[in-house]
Amino acid sequence: MSTISHVIGTGISSAVQVAVVAVGGPVLVGVMRKVRCRLEGRVGPPVLQPLVDIRKLFRKQRFRPDQATWIFTLAPVMLVATVVVAAAITPLVTTHPALRASSDLFVLVYLLLVGSTLLALAGLDAGTAFGGMGSSRAVTIGALAEPALLVTILALSTTAHSSNLPAIVSAILAHPESVATPQRLFALGALLIVIVAESGRLPVDNPATHLELTMVHEAMILEYAGPDLALVTVGEAMRLTLLLGIFVNLVAPWGVATSTSVSGVVVGLASVVAKVAVVGVFLAVFEVFIAKVRLFRVPELLAGAFVLALLGVVSGLVAK
Amino acid sequence: MSASTYTNVLGLAAAAVLLCAVVTLWRRSLGAIVRTLAVQGAALACVATVIGLHEHDVGLIVVGLLVLGAKAVVVPLLIGRVVRHDPNSRETDPLVNVPASLVAAGALTFLAFAATRSVTSLVPTTAGRLIPIGLAAMLVGFFALVTRRKAVSQIVGILLVDNGVALVAFLATAGVPLLVELGASLDVLLAVIVLRVLAIQMRSRLGSFDLDQLTELHD
Amino acid sequence: MTAGVLVVAGALLGLGGAIAGALLPKGWRVRAATALIWAACGCEAAAAIHVLAIDRPIVLRSTELLPFTGVTLVLNSLGAFFVLLVVMVAVPATLYGIGYASHGLDTRTAACVFPLFVTTLLLVPTAGSVATFMALWELMALTSLLLVLVDHSASEASRSAGTWYAVLTHVGAATILVAFLILAAHSGGQTFAAIAVHARHLASGVRALVFMLALVGFGSKAGAVPFHVWLPKAHPEAPSPVSALMSGAMVALGVYGIVLVGDDLLGGGPVWWWLVVLVLGGASALFGSLHAASSTDLKRLLAYSTTDNIGLVLLAVGAAGLYDATRHPLLAALSLVSALVLLFNHAAFKGALFLSAGSVQVATGSRDLDRLGGLLRRMPQTGALFLVAAAAISALPPLNGFIGEWLLFQSLLHGAVIGSTAADIAIPLAVAALALTAGLTVVAFVKAVGIGFLGRPRSESADEATEVPRTMRLAVGLLVAVCVVLGVAPTLIFPAVERAVKTALPGLGTRILAHGVDLQVVGLRGMLAPAALAGSLAGAVVGIMVLRRALSRQPTPRVVEAWGCGRQLQTARMQYTATSFAEPVQRVFDDVLRPVQDLDVTHVAESRYVIESVTFANTVDDAIERSLYTPVIRAVRRWGQVARRLQPGSVHRYLAYGLGALVILLVAVAVMG
Repeated sequence: MSTISHVIGTGISSAVQVAVVAVGGPVLVGVMRKVRCRLEGRVGPPVLQPLVDIRKLFRKQRFRPDQATWIFTLAPVMLVATVVVAAAITPLVTTHPALRASSDLFVLVYLLLVGSTLLALAGLDAGTAFGGMGSSRAVTIGALAEPALLVTILALSTTAHSSNLPAIVSAILAHPESVATPQRLFALGALLIVIVAESGRLPVDNPATHLELTMVHEAMILEYAGPDLALVTVGEAMRLTLLLGIFVNLVAPWGVATSTSVSGVVVGLASVVAKVAVVGVFLAVFEVFIAKVRLFRVPELLAGAFVLALLGVVSGLVAK
Repeated sequence: MSASTYTNVLGLAAAAVLLCAVVTLWRRSLGAIVRTLAVQGAALACVATVIGLHEHDVGLIVVGLLVLGAKAVVVPLLIGRVVRHDPNSRETDPLVNVPASLVAAGALTFLAFAATRSVTSLVPTTAGRLIPIGLAAMLVGFFALVTRRKAVSQIVGILLVDNGVALVAFLATAGVPLLVELGASLDVLLAVIVLRVLAIQMRSRLGSFDLDQLTELHD
Repeated sequence: MTAGVLVVAGALLGLGGAIAGALLPKGWRVRAATALIWAACGCEAAAAIHVLAIDRPIVLRSTELLPFTGVTLVLNSLGAFFVLLVVMVAVPATLYGIGYASHGLDTRTAACVFPLFVTTLLLVPTAGSVATFMALWELMALTSLLLVLVDHSASEASRSAGTWYAVLTHVGAATILVAFLILAAHSGGQTFAAIAVHARHLASGVRALVFMLALVGFGSKAGAVPFHVWLPKAHPEAPSPVSALMSGAMVALGVYGIVLVGDDLLGGGPVWWWLVVLVLGGASALFGSLHAASSTDLKRLLAYSTTDNIGLVLLAVGAAGLYDATRHPLLAALSLVSALVLLFNHAAFKGALFLSAGSVQVATGSRDLDRLGGLLRRMPQTGALFLVAAAAISALPPLNGFIGEWLLFQSLLHGAVIGSTAADIAIPLAVAALALTAGLTVVAFVKAVGIGFLGRPRSESADEATEVPRTMRLAVGLLVAVCVVLGVAPTLIFPAVERAVKTALPGLGTRILAHGVDLQVVGLRGMLAPAALAGSLAGAVVGIMVLRRALSRQPTPRVVEAWGCGRQLQTARMQYTATSFAEPVQRVFDDVLRPVQDLDVTHVAESRYVIESVTFANTVDDAIERSLYTPVIRAVRRWGQVARRLQPGSVHRYLAYGLGALVILLVAVAVMG
C-alpha cells in the first residue's frame, strides 16, 4: 500500500514540477524582460506577456517551408518533450521525483542535448542560409560547453560519490558545512557560465536580436511560425527555468522537500520559485551591464568555465 | 573559530588567490588585470590573517595587515597609475591566445597538484594541504609572465609569482618571520617602482607598452 | 565437443563461401557465398553463445594443419563476445553486399576474398596460439587489403590508400609478432595458455616491452592516434560493406588484441602502461572527432569518427587497467564492461552508417557532402535510418551510444575518488576528453545529416537520387534495430559482457551490474532506467503532438517558400555547405587542424573593382601524417636511392654478392665455432 501511495506521490510531485516549469518558464522570461526594461528606463511589456504571446501563437495556422521534412515538424515537439521529461525527473520541488533512478546529471545533459540537436537539424532543414548559420554556431557553442559541463558534474559528484541529482542534493542537505567549499564554488561558477551559454543568454547570444551577423539561436528557428514557434518559445523558456532550477538547488537546496507529502511539496514549490526568481532577476540585472561578445570570443568564456571546473576538481582533491 | 569554519575560510581564501591568477589570463583590459591583482593581494592577506587568528600568532596578523596595505592597495595603485596614462591599453594579442592560456592554466594546476603530492603528506595541517594551490598560483603567474606582451602585464606577472610564493610560505610554515616578509614586500615595492619608471620611459620612447618592440635588447 | 564441431563447421562453411565465390558463374556467386557465410556466422554464433552460457572455453587442437606448430583454437568467453560482435556486423553487411554487388563486389576476386575476410574476422578471436593467431591475423589483413583495392582498382586514391594500409598493417603485424615471440621464447610454449602461465613471472622490463610492442601493433589496427593514418584513407576507398566490417569489426579486434595481451596474457601491469593507453585513447578521441567535425567527405568523416570511438574505448581500457593496477577490481570490471559495450555499440551504429553512406554513394555517385543535400525527401528510409544511427553515435538517449558513454562516465566518476595520484590527474582529463569528443561528434553528425540529407540538393545527381534496393535498406535496418533495442534494453547483452570481462580480469567473484530492466552498478551509486526513460520520452512526444493539434485552429500546415530576406528565388547555392558548417570549429581549433586556405580572386580586365570569379579552397590535411610520417617516408626514399646503387644490373655483380655473403657466413661460422 505504501509503495502505491509513494508512486502516486512521486507522480504528482513530478507533475507539479512539469507544471511549474511550463508556466513559470514564460513568466520568468517576462520578469527578466521587465527588469531589464525598467533598468533601461523603459516601461516594458507586462510580466505575463510571454504567456499571452504563446497562447496566441498556438491558435494560429501552421506553416512548413517547401523543402522541409518531418524533422522540421518533430524538432519543436522533441525540444519540449525532452525538457518535460527532464523537469519531471529533476529534484526541483522534492528529492523524490518520479524515475528517481534516472535523475542523473549526465542523463539530464544528454536529454537536453536531444532537443538542441534536433533543433540544429531543423535549422538546416529549410535549406536557407540563415538556418545553417544558426545551426553551425549553436552546435559549436554546445560542443565547447560540453567539457566544462561534464567536468563540473565530476566536481559536484565527488562528495556524494554519485552523479545522481537527488543523491547530490541530499548530500548537501546532510552536510551543510560543505556548502561553501572552494570545490563547489568553482564548479557552480562554471555551471552558471555554461547555463548562460546553453540557454542562449547574454553575453553568448542575444535573445532579442535579429541581426544576421550576431544571431545564433534566432537564426536557427527563423522558419518557425504559429504553434511550432510557440513550442520552441515554450521549450526555450522551460529549458532556462529548468537549468536555473537545478542550479539553485545545487547552490542552496534548503526548502526542497525530502518526501512527497503535500506540505513538503508546497514548501518546496514556493522555495524553488523564489530562488529561481532571485537568480533570474540577478541575471537580468547582469545582462543590462554587459554586451554580447563576439562569436569567436565565446570559446574564451567557455574555456574559462572549463578551467573553473578543473580548479573545482583540484580543490576537491587538495581538500581530501 | 571552529575547525570546519577555519578549513572553509582558509580554503576559500587560497582558492581566491588561484582564481585571481587565472582571471588575469582571462581578461584583456589592463585596468581589470590590475584590479584582479588587488583582489588577489586582499585574498593573500586574508590567508595570513586567518592563519594568524587560528594559531593565535599576532605577528602573522600584523603581516596580514601589512600585506593588505602593500599588495592590495599600494602596489595596485602604483601600477594603476601607469595604466591610467593609457586608458585604452589592452592585452590585445598575447603570445598564447586566451582559451589556450586558460587550458594551460588548468594543466599547470594539475601539475602543481601532482608535484606537491609528496610534500603535502609531510605537512599534515589544514594549511599544509593547500600548498598545491599556492604553487599553482605561482605557476600561472609565471605563465602570464612568459606569454603576455605588455609591460604592465609583465609587472603583474612578477607580482603573481611573488604572491604565489608568499602563499606557499604562509601555508607551509604557518608564516614566515615578520622581518623576512617585510623585507620581501619592500623588495617587491622597490621592483614595482623601478618597473613603473621603466614602463613610463618605454612609452615615451616607443609610444607603447608592448615588450615585443624591445627586440634589440641584445645590442 | 559438439560446440567444437560448430567452430570447425563455421570455418569450413566460410571457406566454402570463398570457393563458391571463386568458382560459380556471375549470377550465382554472390548469393551462394552470402548464404554460406550466413551459415558460417550461424555456427560461430551458436558456438559463442554456448561458450558464454556454460562459461567454459572450447579447446581444439590439430597438429596436421600447420607444419611444426599445429593449429590451436580456443574459444573463451572474451573471444566469444567478439565473435558475436563480428556476426552482428557481418550478417547485415553481407546481406547489403547482395544489392551492392554490381558496384565491384561481384568480380571473381572480390566474391572469393570477401567471404574469406569475414571468416578470418570470425576466427581471429578463437585463435589459441601464437602461430594460429598470426596466420589468421595476416590473412585478415591481406584479404581486407585486397578488398580495399577491389572497388576502383584504377583510381589513384585507392592505390595510395592500399599502399598506406599495406605498410602500416605489416609494420603492426611485425611488432605484434615480435611481442608474441618474446612471450613464447620465455614461456617454452606458443599456446596462449602456456604463455599466460609464464608471462606473469617475466622481468618487468620484458613485460613492458611486450606490452608496448603489442600496443603499437594492435593500436595501428584499431586506428589509434598516431597509427591511424591509414584508416581515413583505406576505409572510405573500400566497398561499403567492407568499410562497415573494417570499421565495425576489424578495429574492434585491435582492441581485442590489446585486452588479450594486456589483461589475459600479461595479467595486468603497472600504472604507467595504462596511462600510456589513456593518453593514446584521449588523443585518438580528440583528434578523430576534430577531423570528423571538419571533414566534408561522408565516408572520411565516418572513418575519422571510428578513430574517435576507438579512442573512447581505449580510455575505458586504460581506466580499467589503471584501476586494476591500483587494486580496485570492481571499478576495473566496470570500466572494461563499458569498453566492451562501447565497442559493441560502435560496431552497430558505425556499420549502419557506413552501409547507408554506401547507399548514398550508389544513389548519387558521390560521397562529397558539398554535392549532396535533400536526400531525406528522395530516399526517406535510408535517410531516416542514417538519422537514427547518427543520433546513436552522438550518444543521444534513448539509443545505445548513450548507454556506452554513461557507463564510461560512471566508471570515470567513481575512479576520481580512489586516491591514487595517477588516477586523480588522469580521470578528470579523461572526462574532459570524453566531453569534448561527445560535443564534436554532435557537430560532425549534425553536419552529416543536415548537409547530406536535409535542405536542397546541391547537385543534379543528388536531385535525381532514388531509394536503393530493399535488401540494402533491410541490412541497415537490422543494425539500426540493434542500436534502438540496446538503447532501451541494454541489459540484454550484459550477461555476455560480464562473462567476457571476468575472463579478462579473473578473480572477480561478484556481479558488476544488476540485471533487470534498470541498470544498477553493484556496490556503487549509479543507476539508470533506460526503458522507463525511453517510455516517458515517447509519451511526452505523443502528448505534445496531440496538444499542438488540439490547440491550433488550422492544424494542417500550409506549405510556403522559406524566407529569403525578400528574395523571390532561393537556390541550393545559398545554403550553408559542409565546409561553412565546420568553419567555426575549424577556426577555434586552428592550431590543431592547421587548415590550408586558398582564396583566388580574378578581376575583370577593365576594372579591378569588378570581380569575374572567386575560388576558395579549404583543405584540412592530417597534421600527424604531415609531421610524423612524411619525414619518415622521405628518409626511406633517400635510403632507397642509396640502395639502388647496389643494383647495377650486372649478373656478375649479383653473383658476387651471393659469393660474398656465403664467404662472410662461413667466416662467421669458423670464428664462432
